[in-house]
Amino acid sequence: MTTQDERPDRHVAEHAEHRWASLSILIVVLLTGLAAGAGIHYAVMPQARVETVDPATAPIAGEFVESNLGSVVEPDGSVTVRALGQRYSFTPSCIVVPTNTPLTIRATSADVIHGILIEGTNVNTMLVPGYISVITAQFATPGEHLMPCQEFCSIGHEGMWGKVKVIDKPSFMALASKTKRVSCVEQ
Amino acid sequence: MTTEQTPPRDKSWSWASFGLTAVLVLLTAIAGLILLPSLQTNASYSSLWDAICSAAGVLRPSASQPSIEPTFKVSQVVLTSGMLRNPSQESIGRGATLGQRCAICHGPSGISRADSPNLAGQYASVIYKELLDFRSGARVNSVMSPFAEPLSDQDIVDLAAYYSYLPRLPGYHPTMQTPAPRIVINGAPMRGIASCGSCHGGLANKAGSPWLEQQPEPYILSQLRAFASGDRHNDIGQQMRNIARQMTSDEMAEVARYYASQPLGSSTQ
Amino acid sequence: MNNRQLILAHFWLAFGLFAVALVLGAWQMLIRSPLLSWIPDPEWYYRSVTAHGTVMAYVFPTLVAMGFGYAISQVALNQALIGVRWAWLGLALVAIGAVTAVIPVALGRASVLYTFYPPLIGNAFYYIGVVLVVVGSWVWVALLSVNLGIWKRKHADEPVPFAMFANVAGAYLWAWTSVGAALELLFQIIPAAVGLTSTIDAGLSRVFFSWTLHAIVYFWLIPTYIAYYTIFPRAIGGRLYSDTMGRIAFILFLIVAMPIGIHHVFEDPQVGAGFKFIHSTFTALVTLPTLLTVFTICASAEIAGRLRGGRGPLGWISALPWRNPIMLAVALSFVMLGFGGAGGIINMSYQLNSSIHNTQWITGHFHLIFGGAIVIMYFAIAYDLWPHLTARALASERLMRLQLWLWFIGMMVTTFPWHYVGILGMPRRMAYYDYSNPALAPEALSVILSGFGGLILLAAGLLFVFILIRGHRGPATVVDEYRFSTALHPPVALPAALNGFALWLALMIGLTVTNYGFPIAALLTRTGIAVPAVYVGSQP
Repeated sequence: MTTQDERPDRHVAEHAEHRWASLSILIVVLLTGLAAGAGIHYAVMPQARVETVDPATAPIAGEFVESNLGSVVEPDGSVTVRALGQRYSFTPSCIVVPTNTPLTIRATSADVIHGILIEGTNVNTMLVPGYISVITAQFATPGEHLMPCQEFCSIGHEGMWGKVKVIDKPSFMALASKTKRVSCVEQ
Repeated sequence: MTTEQTPPRDKSWSWASFGLTAVLVLLTAIAGLILLPSLQTNASYSSLWDAICSAAGVLRPSASQPSIEPTFKVSQVVLTSGMLRNPSQESIGRGATLGQRCAICHGPSGISRADSPNLAGQYASVIYKELLDFRSGARVNSVMSPFAEPLSDQDIVDLAAYYSYLPRLPGYHPTMQTPAPRIVINGAPMRGIASCGSCHGGLANKAGSPWLEQQPEPYILSQLRAFASGDRHNDIGQQMRNIARQMTSDEMAEVARYYASQPLGSSTQ
Repeated sequence: MNNRQLILAHFWLAFGLFAVALVLGAWQMLIRSPLLSWIPDPEWYYRSVTAHGTVMAYVFPTLVAMGFGYAISQVALNQALIGVRWAWLGLALVAIGAVTAVIPVALGRASVLYTFYPPLIGNAFYYIGVVLVVVGSWVWVALLSVNLGIWKRKHADEPVPFAMFANVAGAYLWAWTSVGAALELLFQIIPAAVGLTSTIDAGLSRVFFSWTLHAIVYFWLIPTYIAYYTIFPRAIGGRLYSDTMGRIAFILFLIVAMPIGIHHVFEDPQVGAGFKFIHSTFTALVTLPTLLTVFTICASAEIAGRLRGGRGPLGWISALPWRNPIMLAVALSFVMLGFGGAGGIINMSYQLNSSIHNTQWITGHFHLIFGGAIVIMYFAIAYDLWPHLTARALASERLMRLQLWLWFIGMMVTTFPWHYVGILGMPRRMAYYDYSNPALAPEALSVILSGFGGLILLAAGLLFVFILIRGHRGPATVVDEYRFSTALHPPVALPAALNGFALWLALMIGLTVTNYGFPIAALLTRTGIAVPAVYVGSQP
């Protein structure tokens, strides 16, 4: 049972706790606000739509048939890259993209869950069979990036490494004028 | 927070908690489902309602664009893991009868005396796929295409049942003589090549990937070269072409020699 | 302590399996490092990862929570456990489940990793084993609920002892959390594994699993936090700063641990962006109970420090009983909690997560926070309870302190370079890496360091088991009755909200409906997205 003497004591403790709780809530609100703000103004957002595709027939016909994979220039000047992930390689195994151009990467899996990670960037997504993953990106400087599968896809997973070559825009446009779907796969 | 002087106010806890939670849910829902999508400039939503539905995860097919069709016939075969297991005895029997036609090149018991592939014990999914591809023209061979053309779907299933029922040829790799090539055991990860066994049965079998042990060396070599040049293109999604293109001719020779390895005096010689 | 055999059985099964899984973990660190040549059969690596993950995630922490939970129930309520036979049944289910699951994994028939990864489907008995483990833990949840209910009838209107309040909050949280994975296993994976279906909706599976995947770490964390509040202040001769704040922290865990799982599928294409944002915000909320806890526990420590004569704003820190293993464990735990929690805050935002999703950063993060901050307190709990369970003194405080330091150093050496290679982009779960490639060469040294850290952890873990075994052989001793810490201002009457769970369970379920309802409904009503199952592990 409390007595009158303990009341100031208890108030001190409660007061400290309240102040800390308010500070904590402020920290949480700040963090969330930062994330939302960054998302709107600067950085990448989750994909805008949910789209489905049949994984069993994806390589046979439709958007992800092998002849339709690769990089293509859209009428508005942006570039769309289409890729297929399967056990245990990506097709095209070497993706080529231009610098300073808005890119849209559209990819799916033909069988199990895979992932795409373009090393040295924050282009990072899952490939879930049945769904199309869409990611936007833009590269500023030319270079080569490894593109591993970052999700366990069964025993050959450790061999599933693709490549992304970023080349300057004029060279890319020269390539694109010669073939409709560009990739850096050597024939 | 209560003190001992005031009676517990249960109702106020309920109202406060529910109220706060509801406000949070509402605020985050508005921000996530309405505000953020409408502020996204590059998502090309047709309307605010489209933006809200898309953010919620309602299916939204994107505008379909014409695809570039392949210049050759692509394999139309859909393979699933575990298909064609447990064939019936009748199917195997019919396959045996049909298989007599194949014996000229592939041997009376599925073990060929020439450089045509050994079929004995091959995975059913492989026989099934290759025959369908020969028949459709996704895979072209001057000898096989005429043989495959008159086969019906049931014939192909039966042949697959028969050959898969025969005993499989084991691998013969005495490690003392020649160590296994690194590309077979570990693949070449940086070139996007997984170990052969992860699909071809040494470690696991991916449906449609043939068992390679004791296949004729010239056959393995010719197929790897055909994949590398693109002459053979019935591998779904270019999966073998991706690999063969990255292999050197030395590696191809090593791989062919490795898998063709057989004990002296074996029935395949 | 009543029912000592029951509690000891839980701990021994937990720590025995822990030691085995630790060996596997150390091997995994080394085999994929530049120190050893590439494994000829990568399947062994994935087999090991499956076994290690299954034991460390599903069996080990569950058994610790169960054993500790029964001890708390008896001590806090001053009431011998009611339903002891059921408790033994629960333990048997967990044990049988663990064996049933591990055998197919050991035979290479279920190398699907502890996160299951449909449409990969392994041997059905692996999944059945996991289900049995979960069902065994549900028996524990029911028993705690029953025991509390009986106590409340005898002690109407009295405040529920704090330790039991937190204990039951954790149990209810687990019961609701496990529903997600249970749905995935029972309705999707096991039917495919036994051949009833041959297709599976991979997207729905991942969403069901995400329901469990985040909140399960709070299930793991709750015994640790209970130890912070109820063992630590008593052990160092102090008082718990605020009983009320403690209750609020556990209540917040109960509500907010659950509806945030979609941050595990941030990069997945089957969930809408809006729900990813909602879950991201609620994930930010779950930092709140930890922030409150850190304050309350530090304040409780300060009380002890000043009671021991500490003066000045920081002088009380050096006055603390640093030779006490519990003191050391909590301090080391807080350091790891700080770093691990910061990493978690990074993962919680979609934008920062994009850089490190599915890289080795993730593995480094959860080893630091779970293997580090949480498990070091499991050691502390065992050390604190052991004399009361064995009626023998634990021999050497010095050895316990050494063990705790080794674990801490091992964890820091293992996980810090691990986080770094994740930033460099090293992907997860590969059996080997080509460190000769110039893009991967910068990762080599860090991976080697992590490998050595793994060996330190192995030594620390084996030392822990050794100390406990020796504890059974120590000199027989008469121990004081086991008790929990006393609050500075012990509550006399509490509102129902701080003394019961009805309100909070309603909110927990309500938030699950608002945060998961539409995504799950959308996936369930979508047609034509079931994909062919890919069977692994059967003989080729």
